[in-house]
Amino acid sequence: MIKNYLLLALKVLRRKPFYTFISLFGISFTLMILMLITSMGDAMFGANQPMTEVDRMVFLPQLERYTEFYDTTYTVDTIAMGDGTIRLDSTQEVAPNGNMNNSNGPMSFSFLDKHMRDFTDVDDYTFLSDNSFTDAYLDGRKVTLNTYYTDANYWSVFDFKFLHGLPFGSDDVQEANKVIVITERAATNYFGEVSAGVIGREMELGQEKYRVVGIVQRPLKDDDTIAGDIFLPLTTIDPRQYANQELQGPFQAVFLASSPGKRESVKKQLEFFATNFVMPPESDFERIRLYAGTAMDKFAATTIQTNDADQAKLMLFIPLFSLLALFLALPLINLINLNVSRVFERKSEIAVRKAFGADSRDILYQFIFENLVLTFIGGFLGLVLAFLIIRYVNANDLIGIVRLSFSVKVFAYFILVILGFGLLSGILPAYRMSRTNIGTALR
Amino acid sequence: MIELTNISKSYRTDTIETLALQRMNLSVPDGEFLSIMGPSGCGKSTLLNIMGLIDEPSEGRVVLAGKEVTDYNGSQTARFRNEQLGFIFQSFHLINDLSVVDNVELPLLYRRVGGKERRRLALEALERVGLSNRATHFPNQLSGGQKQRVAIARAIVGKPNLILADEPTGNLDSHMGGEIMDILTRLNQELGTTIVMVTHDERMAKKTHRLVRLSDGERVS
Repeated sequence: MIKNYLLLALKVLRRKPFYTFISLFGISFTLMILMLITSMGDAMFGANQPMTEVDRMVFLPQLERYTEFYDTTYTVDTIAMGDGTIRLDSTQEVAPNGNMNNSNGPMSFSFLDKHMRDFTDVDDYTFLSDNSFTDAYLDGRKVTLNTYYTDANYWSVFDFKFLHGLPFGSDDVQEANKVIVITERAATNYFGEVSAGVIGREMELGQEKYRVVGIVQRPLKDDDTIAGDIFLPLTTIDPRQYANQELQGPFQAVFLASSPGKRESVKKQLEFFATNFVMPPESDFERIRLYAGTAMDKFAATTIQTNDADQAKLMLFIPLFSLLALFLALPLINLINLNVSRVFERKSEIAVRKAFGADSRDILYQFIFENLVLTFIGGFLGLVLAFLIIRYVNANDLIGIVRLSFSVKVFAYFILVILGFGLLSGILPAYRMSRTNIGTALR
Repeated sequence: MIELTNISKSYRTDTIETLALQRMNLSVPDGEFLSIMGPSGCGKSTLLNIMGLIDEPSEGRVVLAGKEVTDYNGSQTARFRNEQLGFIFQSFHLINDLSVVDNVELPLLYRRVGGKERRRLALEALERVGLSNRATHFPNQLSGGQKQRVAIARAIVGKPNLILADEPTGNLDSHMGGEIMDILTRLNQELGTTIVMVTHDERMAKKTHRLVRLSDGERVS
């Protein structure tokens, strides 16, 4: 039966080449774009190395110090007394007037070291610097490298794929050893090769020489916790920054909650800590706020440029999903329309099939199957196109912050999308076909 | 055996009701070759459609092959049509995308017969109508008479008890029409298949066992 459906579906596609072309063009183009969006979404939000545990991560990129200003508002009431006299009464209210003195930014190592180590529901955590740029020199050539200073836990929180060598350990961090982990891109740029032979070689960064201990694969996305070209023990950072006792400095923290559901608990503990934090007496500010959030919170807040992650997600994703839905709906409606119009064309065939024993379910399955064949062919073309575009985009680093991925997972999503598209666009026309009245159609 | 008792059929629109058949009684014994004649719009095709479970009567009782089929649901009628009935249409209604042999296999497909057996039975049916050498052709490559022979092969491949033919020679010249009638007569004689045929052609009707005439939805002879 399936073989018969398949052969018939292919014959039907051959019968109307123009219709087939229009349908396939729409389907393959739509699915190609969807594939690229899925691929980008997976690269940005998927649980890919080195963020396999992204669902458990809570990011703490910055701290805000602030002082709110208050106004006192007086209200005077005039009360007419019965004896002809007037009594005056007044109330006063003290409330924030909306003005604020504040300072936002990453934190100092001393703040993180003193206060951010003892939370419950946290399996692991890492402190790392914000990125900075370091000039490296080789044979009179200057290479500018995106640099992160991290602790040893960084390599357990973020599971980078090591192509050669190993991460540096806690001893290296404690003893401020001049060791370095580099990405394959940095290895290519600096040493001209990515091989085990690079391990143990030295890189000259500023006045210092660092020994390469590991080469990692460049992550799919340039998240500001993993986007470095080189990674150094945080104790090798400028000593003034390391010893800074202010609240703010160049560091951030990432916590690995014991489960995805415990991220809220970690966020609440951070919020509680901030609310109850007593500012040093010499501070210009009265209170602090910690902006902790999930990867999605951080992405939305950074994109919308606000500190309120919930509001940012609404502002970002409602328009984004509406656009995506619209983008999907248009070709879908078009395909449904094309299919429905073809019902009339094939009425006689359906009636003959029913006359000779096909029941409505047979007809329904046949036409859904035909539509799935069409969408799968379109999907395959879309896949090939998407694959070519992904290769081109990645080879030329066209998007900048993201390398598009082409994994089994993305492929599985894609098959699901095709199935959904095929079913959605096929069910209504197939249902109408299955209801064909034999007598009327054969008249 | 076909038993139609007090069959009426009316078609209703918002403003008008058309009576296509009025209290029709008809009995067709097994193995009979019956023809139905009458002017256009007299209810011949409606009667054939009711016998073929393609249309439902507004009133009355239909018994086919000893079974009361009046209240059958969609899948029951589909199965009954598949196992007991064969149809031949005036304009052939072959599926142009399928080869001759694939067209003939169609009823067996819905009987879930395996591929090899389907092919064997379809070729046997084509042999019977003298078209086994056209098995891999497509309908558009055939003449009208050949198309109707394919349609007959399709109607008999499932070995139905009853063949319902709606003006099978209507679109053919007299020579081709004669050939088709010969095949139907032979099927009736050799296989004992009951055949009910609607026709406008007296000469064709004379070749059948019995003629029933309709006029304005009523049986007149």
